[in-house]
Amino acid sequence: MLLIIEQLLNGLQLGITLFLMSAGLTLVFGIMQIINLAHGSFYMIGAYVAATVAAYTGSFFLAMIAGVTAAAATGCIVEMLVLRHLYKREHLDQVLATFGLIMFFNELVRIVWGRQPLFMNVPDGLTASIELLPGLPYPTYRLAVIGIGFLVAVFLWLMFTKTRIGMQIRAGSTNREMVGALGVNINLLYTLVFGLGTLLAGLAGVMAGPILAVEPGMGESILILTFVVIVIGGIGSIRGAVAGALLVGMVDTLGRAFLPSILRTVLSTATADSVAASLSSMAIYILMAAILVWKPRGLFPAHG
Amino acid sequence: MNRKQITLWCGAIILILLPPFALQTGSPYLLSLGSRILIYALAAVSLDLLLGYGAMISLGHAAFVGVGAYTVGILHFHSSAAEPVLTWPFLFTGSDNGLLVLPLAALTAAFAALIIGALCLRTIGMHFIMITLAFAQMLYYFFISLEKYGGDDGLSLAARNSLPGLDLGQGSHFYYLCLAALFLFLFFAHKLVNSRFGLIIRGAGNNDRRIKGLGIHSYRYKLTTFVIAGGSAGLAGALLANQTEFVSPGLMHWTLSGELMVMVLLGGLGTLFGPVLGAAVFLLLEETLAMYTEHWMIYMGPFLVLTVIFAKHGLFGFLSGDKEKNG
Amino acid sequence: MADTLLKVSRLHKSFGAVMATNNLSLDITRGHIHALIGPNGAGKTTLVNQLSGDMQADSGTIHFLSRDITRLKSYRRAQMGIARSFQITHIFENLTVAENMGLAICAGLGHNFKFWRHWRNTAAIKSELPIALERVDLIHRAELTARHLSHGEKRQLEVGMALVGKPELLILDEPMAGLGPGGTVELAKLIKKQKGRVTILLVEHDMDVVFSLADRVTVLVYGENIATGSPEEIRNNPVVRKAYLGEGG
Ligand SMILES: Nc1ncnc2c1ncn2[C@@H]1O[C@H](COP(=O)(O)OP(=O)(O)OP(=O)(O)O)[C@@H](O)[C@H]1O
Ligand SMILES: [Mg+2]
Repeated sequence: MLLIIEQLLNGLQLGITLFLMSAGLTLVFGIMQIINLAHGSFYMIGAYVAATVAAYTGSFFLAMIAGVTAAAATGCIVEMLVLRHLYKREHLDQVLATFGLIMFFNELVRIVWGRQPLFMNVPDGLTASIELLPGLPYPTYRLAVIGIGFLVAVFLWLMFTKTRIGMQIRAGSTNREMVGALGVNINLLYTLVFGLGTLLAGLAGVMAGPILAVEPGMGESILILTFVVIVIGGIGSIRGAVAGALLVGMVDTLGRAFLPSILRTVLSTATADSVAASLSSMAIYILMAAILVWKPRGLFPAHG
Repeated sequence: MNRKQITLWCGAIILILLPPFALQTGSPYLLSLGSRILIYALAAVSLDLLLGYGAMISLGHAAFVGVGAYTVGILHFHSSAAEPVLTWPFLFTGSDNGLLVLPLAALTAAFAALIIGALCLRTIGMHFIMITLAFAQMLYYFFISLEKYGGDDGLSLAARNSLPGLDLGQGSHFYYLCLAALFLFLFFAHKLVNSRFGLIIRGAGNNDRRIKGLGIHSYRYKLTTFVIAGGSAGLAGALLANQTEFVSPGLMHWTLSGELMVMVLLGGLGTLFGPVLGAAVFLLLEETLAMYTEHWMIYMGPFLVLTVIFAKHGLFGFLSGDKEKNG
Repeated sequence: MADTLLKVSRLHKSFGAVMATNNLSLDITRGHIHALIGPNGAGKTTLVNQLSGDMQADSGTIHFLSRDITRLKSYRRAQMGIARSFQITHIFENLTVAENMGLAICAGLGHNFKFWRHWRNTAAIKSELPIALERVDLIHRAELTARHLSHGEKRQLEVGMALVGKPELLILDEPMAGLGPGGTVELAKLIKKQKGRVTILLVEHDMDVVFSLADRVTVLVYGENIATGSPEEIRNNPVVRKAYLGEGG
């Protein structure tokens, strides 16, 4: 039972990371109608910059600020230099150009930081574990990640439903010309939305730093999971991103944790382990396929 | 002869004469590079059927290359271990016989394409792109989880497949096998895109809604194309496994899908012969850049971005003076 | 009633608060040119979309050839003989004129996967393609990529494609929109030529065209059928004059 709770929390924590990634990406997809493969690069940039700053200053807080700022700033620059030329182009062009961006950023990271993974320490105050229930210690840092993700979700929800800029963004997603006509600087708005998306990706990267290895290409493994989340949740929908991220986080974590023991009850240990390894690595994709058959546009399609 | 035909003939002659030239100049290296270009060209042309004609932007094409390669690898593994692949529902043993293995690789990949395509083609646009990528990644993880076949590290082949009358271990024999496969597929694809089936696919790629308005159920046409493209990518994978005598999940990695796309775009979308040129240019560029710097991607990335933003018709369009796609 | 080709009963469709189709009933008689007029945003295109199956009605029924087609997919309706042109030109821009027309002809030939033979090398295409191109005066443009056609020629092509399958019902959504006077006259001639051969539902703003071509006219305002009758009746209908002609011209 305790094991289940622990794994549920792990699933929640993966889900939160995925949510940070997919919230930004789904906004960019939904609002600008642009497919951006390079989103994972901003996650990577956030992680690298944070790991470096943390190593120099020893302060996780400074590292976080630096990582998030670097990701957001790079995002804004990339939007202005590259993506802006692609809004009215075909998806194929967008795919190829952003694929080029991935090549560039991965290589840049290799040049600057080398091929060896970096490791980032868990921030000082958060190294301990908290005893959530008797017999169930849980790392404080992971709890903090869950908490921050939760705060971001609430913040986004408030921003989109209660503030003027949120309304403008949502209006921009339905009718670009119309918002332009209302006197909103749509170019600036798009740059800001893109920057917000990359900021969230950077944040996800910073927070994953102490949990995972910081290495070139780390962006792509999370990117593909993020795609699965968006496909499941529906393009352009924050609600969908929440639901998809939690589902994927849970299914992936619980599958890896419990499939072997479940299968061992019906199969021999060796077979069970190999089947479980295959199954659990494919579980979220099977989930995605199932949802696709049921709802081709995802659980919460944003428009019409 | 017009400019386009001249370009084509020149290309064909260069490809045919490469082995004697390599022999003369004593650079067997040229042969293996040439074979590699031909194999990638085959995969790129098959992807062009999807991208350039049917506007199905698949970001998971490498998965089928990988399935084809693993078919060769797994059959070889069982044949050298003298252990049948299947004992139930029927006995199926491993093999190194190219007459069996190569078609089987294409068929297996086509079957995978049938299942993945049937699901993916329920969606369009961005969804389709993301889902093809996700399924390819699923296969990637699946093969990583197969400890028996080397997991992450993959499988080495002790020798290339055997074919009657050919010795694939010899560079030139293998090269001509790849060339024949490429020429045959180009011929087939050329026929295909100009057939009634191809007309419908091009129509669906151009304006799917209109195709439906005409009363044509485009799904099955698209799925058939997806299967054909997947099968031929599988054949390319089988050849690639033979060339490198090695298969690993890395073959299915999505960066390979991306690179195939780049080849199609570089050469010219929807031109069939363009992707051959694209594959050659991409691989040669990679080789050359890699000679000067291990960080060749730092140049390739921006080059790609600029190509997308500024170049519209690809190299083949430039050489052949042909500005219309879908010709 | 035997010659009612299409029967719409109490159709509803709303987009959020907008009632784009409101309790609409309509009969179209076989062989007629039936015009549909109404101010901008009256719901004409929305109705056409529901008839062609590109949009699903919220409630109500559509019968075609006495069969309920309300829930049929668009391609099934096309197979039954409903052809449409779109308000925004909807052709295959990247294909040649001949290929566009060829596709329309292939559509009528039913499903079969012909991988090998060039699409032009079949009896049906060889015999029908020149006729179909001739019908809309595009034979001299056959090898041009469609995106290079003039606006009027694109319309002609579109109508020509719709006519290929010998449809029972041809729906034309503002075919004259964006055409110069010359183009309008050409196209009106073309439509008139089809009169009697095929039933046509014509959505049109240009009153002169409507009153010269139509056998019957339906006036749509706020998604409602406010009047249906002969052009003469409509012209003299006080409600219509007040609601529509009065303000529109
Ligand atoms: N997809 C949609 N989503 C939301 N509202 C829509 C949609 N399509 C149409 N509408 C609304 O429905 C109403 C009817 O639109 P429709 O396009 O059918 O009018 P119309 O008579 O064809 O006008 P026009 O003469 O401009 O072509 C309009 O108020 C329009 O804003
Ligand atoms: Mg309209």
